[in-house]
Amino acid sequence: MTFQTFCENIVKIMVKYWDVFLIKGLSITISLSIIAVFFGAILGALLALGKMSRFKILRGIITAFIEIIRGTPILLQLYLFYFILPMALPALNIETYPSIAIALVVNSSAYVSEVIRSGIQAVDKGQTEAARSLGLNKTQTMLKVVLPQAVKNILPALGNEFIMIIKETSLASTFFVGDLMTSYLTVRGATFLAIESLFIVGVIYFVLTFALSKLVGVYENKLKNAE
Amino acid sequence: MSNNTNSNIVTSSWNEDVVIRTEGLVKNFGKLQVLKGINEEIKKGEVVSIIGPSGSGKSTFLRCLNLLEQPTGGKIFFEGVDITDPNVDINLHRQKMGMVFQQFNVFPNMSVKENITMAPVLLKKKTQEEADAMAADLLNRVGLIEKINERPTRLSGGQKQRLAIVRALAMEPNVMLFDEPTSALDPEMVGEVLDVIKRLVKGGMTTVIVTHEMGFAREVSDRVLFMDEGIIVEQGKPEDIFNNPKEARTQSFLSKVL
Repeated sequence: MTFQTFCENIVKIMVKYWDVFLIKGLSITISLSIIAVFFGAILGALLALGKMSRFKILRGIITAFIEIIRGTPILLQLYLFYFILPMALPALNIETYPSIAIALVVNSSAYVSEVIRSGIQAVDKGQTEAARSLGLNKTQTMLKVVLPQAVKNILPALGNEFIMIIKETSLASTFFVGDLMTSYLTVRGATFLAIESLFIVGVIYFVLTFALSKLVGVYENKLKNAE
Repeated sequence: MSNNTNSNIVTSSWNEDVVIRTEGLVKNFGKLQVLKGINEEIKKGEVVSIIGPSGSGKSTFLRCLNLLEQPTGGKIFFEGVDITDPNVDINLHRQKMGMVFQQFNVFPNMSVKENITMAPVLLKKKTQEEADAMAADLLNRVGLIEKINERPTRLSGGQKQRLAIVRALAMEPNVMLFDEPTSALDPEMVGEVLDVIKRLVKGGMTTVIVTHEMGFAREVSDRVLFMDEGIIVEQGKPEDIFNNPKEARTQSFLSKVL
């Protein structure tokens, strides 16, 4: 295979299947990632608060959950939810996409909760002491002093988590949910041009994550300059 | 929420001249006993300096007074109320005890003005208008009025500490606690902060100050406490402590720092 035929094949594939990649695949990859990060952030924030609470049992349960999620492969978790959710709730008739989305939310919540917790704990303890010494209670201190400062630590890390999730959604193609990687499988099946299809998908992933990481970088700089 | 009515129970034998009293105050960090049972009284309008070598427990003692450190044992009375009683709402009492820290701890997420007005407004001591007016007045007095809308990150160390002092004053406290307020400052900024504290003290504010500035302690204090190894080794009028220390440990410490 010469470089020229490689390029020609790519053009041919793109002309015929561009919508499979850029409309169907890309939209499902992005929607899965947004769902995973958005709901993962909400669930993760609750987990982070629980882990910092004074209830020992709650802290223990959350710590165990986070360690298990972070200590097992995401593909295994996807399989687990893919099999267990429809079995556990047969009445709901859960399809593949929601199962996979829920698995990704659960996975990302574990990582995001650690991002949020470390973001909160990175705020200087003196800030809390100063607020408490003025007579603010714990909740007021958290809302007025700690969280506004923690957000600056958390948001860039959350952006990076989003980038990680985008790449991890490729594993969802194992279950043919229609994401970018599924597009690759579809087009490869139709054209038998594996490397060209892979190349196209790779470029789309890269453009997506590279652009996002640049955006996060710009945002981080903006935060720094605002200080 | 703690029971507020309990916060107002004043011990029957309370002397109105006393602002803070500690009884057998003990603080352990793990196996290390940092405070070994301190009995002390701070009287209204009194200016008390605490000096001593590092690790002597003087900062811990100060931080126990508003319960930033939870004492391991003993009692602390503030205006007649035992604030170590778990049923007491400590937040209400902290509003009456201003504190200034070595590391300033100004809030970088707020403007200079918001640093001052946030707590009085949030805790419903003042309306926003009243608090704004007070902030301007306080900033005027410490020479920071032109910084009112700046972010504190743009201030020098001395300016930050002056801001931290007026932030505490905005709650109109009955006592001010200073924890080594000039130790983190560049030498040329120590004077401006000490000047502010001096004026405050002259205005009659009850003050407890942990400091390494011996000249300052001698000048402004009514009483000096010398602490070492978790106890108050010696105390008295500044001229007595600095000119005629009685205890060997005090003599040895002063010979090193004076």
